[in-house]
Amino acid sequence: MRPEPRPGPIAAILRGRGRTRRALLGDWIRVRTLANSWPALAGLAAFAAMLGLQQLIAPGTQRLLTAVFLFVALAQAWNIIGGYTGYASFGQVAFFGLGAYTVAVLMNNYHVSFWMALPAAVLVGVLFAVVIGVPLLRLRGHYFAIATLGAAEGAREVINNMTSVTGGGGGITIPTFGDQAPTPYFGKPGFYLAFLVLAALSVVVAASLARSRFGYAMVAVHEDEDAAGAVGINTTVVKVVAFGVSAAIVACAGAFYAFQQIEFYPTDVFDASFTVLMVIMVVIGGSGSVVGPLVGAVGLELLSQFLRVNLGSFNQLIFGAVIVLVVVFFPQGVVSYLRDAWRTRHFSVLDNVRRYRL
Amino acid sequence: MIAPSDVPSAAVLEVRHLSKRFGGLWALRDVSFSVGEGEIVGIIGPNGAGKSTLVNLITGHLRPTGGTVLISGRDVTGLHPWVIAHDRVARTFQIVKPFRGLTVRENVAIGAMHGNDRDGSVREALATADELLDLVGIAKHANAAPTQLSVADARRLELAKALATRPHLLLIDEVMAGLRNPEIESAVELIHRLRDSGITIVAVEHVMKAIVSVSDRILVLHHGSILAMGSPPEVLSDPRVIEAYLGRRYISRRSE
Repeated sequence: MRPEPRPGPIAAILRGRGRTRRALLGDWIRVRTLANSWPALAGLAAFAAMLGLQQLIAPGTQRLLTAVFLFVALAQAWNIIGGYTGYASFGQVAFFGLGAYTVAVLMNNYHVSFWMALPAAVLVGVLFAVVIGVPLLRLRGHYFAIATLGAAEGAREVINNMTSVTGGGGGITIPTFGDQAPTPYFGKPGFYLAFLVLAALSVVVAASLARSRFGYAMVAVHEDEDAAGAVGINTTVVKVVAFGVSAAIVACAGAFYAFQQIEFYPTDVFDASFTVLMVIMVVIGGSGSVVGPLVGAVGLELLSQFLRVNLGSFNQLIFGAVIVLVVVFFPQGVVSYLRDAWRTRHFSVLDNVRRYRL
Repeated sequence: MIAPSDVPSAAVLEVRHLSKRFGGLWALRDVSFSVGEGEIVGIIGPNGAGKSTLVNLITGHLRPTGGTVLISGRDVTGLHPWVIAHDRVARTFQIVKPFRGLTVRENVAIGAMHGNDRDGSVREALATADELLDLVGIAKHANAAPTQLSVADARRLELAKALATRPHLLLIDEVMAGLRNPEIESAVELIHRLRDSGITIVAVEHVMKAIVSVSDRILVLHHGSILAMGSPPEVLSDPRVIEAYLGRRYISRRSE
């Protein structure tokens, strides 16, 4: 009925390239230049600077920066599911609490070393993410937010009521002294290093995800799931994996946090304000990029600590006011605003407010 | 239970007794047809005839109330859209669905990195996207945001996104609606070129003139059922089609 397909440009495109992994790797190495490697180099320099800085600052300041590093990791984690994939989870603290309690229970009840308990904590976090993610990621928008909030509250109540294992509302203590300690306590310098590495890893994970095929799939799911499915993206897998990766980072952070705190209660590590801070840091910095959450986390945590020290009882009020003002003037996030403004050479804040007003 | 799908079929697409009900409304009722390799089949019908519903049922974006869909003999009824996409079926959307946060080039590259014979790296997928943008004629907008495109270019982007998945069967949903005459001509020419390179095409259209000039066969939907099927001259001269689709006004004008 019709002639054989004619070889031509279209047919060539449709055949695909069929390249080997080795050829792809060779290509990747060949295209590395200073111009396209500068974000990685800048990150490496920042990491080295933070390592050097540790030698110069007092233990109190180290403790402050440790909190900053913790929130960098948490913000990057939230951005993977809430920013790139577009599923605003209000239950990420569940993974934090589960990570913390896994470490505490294993170290306290079973005398397991921290380094064995850490992967277990990550595993528990990921498993919980998959178990709640498969049903909940079918919900969209507000419904997903509310459902995850509920899941986190539920997780806290379960931990609270497993008194024989977790100590329930009476809290739990990780043995850190003498023969009782499965792993010697890190101390302030140790935790500075641990949280710095955690923050760096979270940035590396987020950056590599963002530039990968999976990263594009996350953005496609965020923009339009029907269209994403039509071009061959398994939207269920993308959502669950993104949720799982986010949970892994958060659970890891929870594990280190538990060891650092030594003693804590369910209300500490399942505190919903952790989730709220993750969301605010990502939204204020600019979601859907790696730099946005980084800037949001560093900026807000430093600001919050500064206000706490200098303003006394008013600090929360001022902190809240700053958040409101930033959201009003830069609804798309500070980093996104600066990037767009720089690109268009148009810095008017009022125009920016008008552009994003509903 | 022996499903009718166990019978092998040579057709690229075969639809058997396909039905879809939304509440009390049958959007599609007992529709059966098949499309052979290399064919261009046009689907026409008035608004609400069930054209887009039919496309959505074939690509897995809707689940049928009854009936089966076979792609190259394989039963794909009720499978997820991405599974069907990997059976080398691609589609455009009537209401264009670009990924707004990405550039035009990246929009197309996503299909090349997640479709069939997919590119191993983002960089290769972007190169494939450039070739496809050139093919559909919007290469100069590669770095633009999809929201900045004109209606015609946004439809070209839809087409390039679908082609990037390297389909054997392409379903185009009203890709010519709202286009001006020269734009329609270039679209028709492109559809012919796609067919010549081995793609089977099902084109849902509202623009009568365009559909007649591209299609080997035309299927007319009316109130969710097939009213007529055949070559363009046959269908156009069918009195039921003239009555239902073109309306009495068209008949009286022609007889003048």
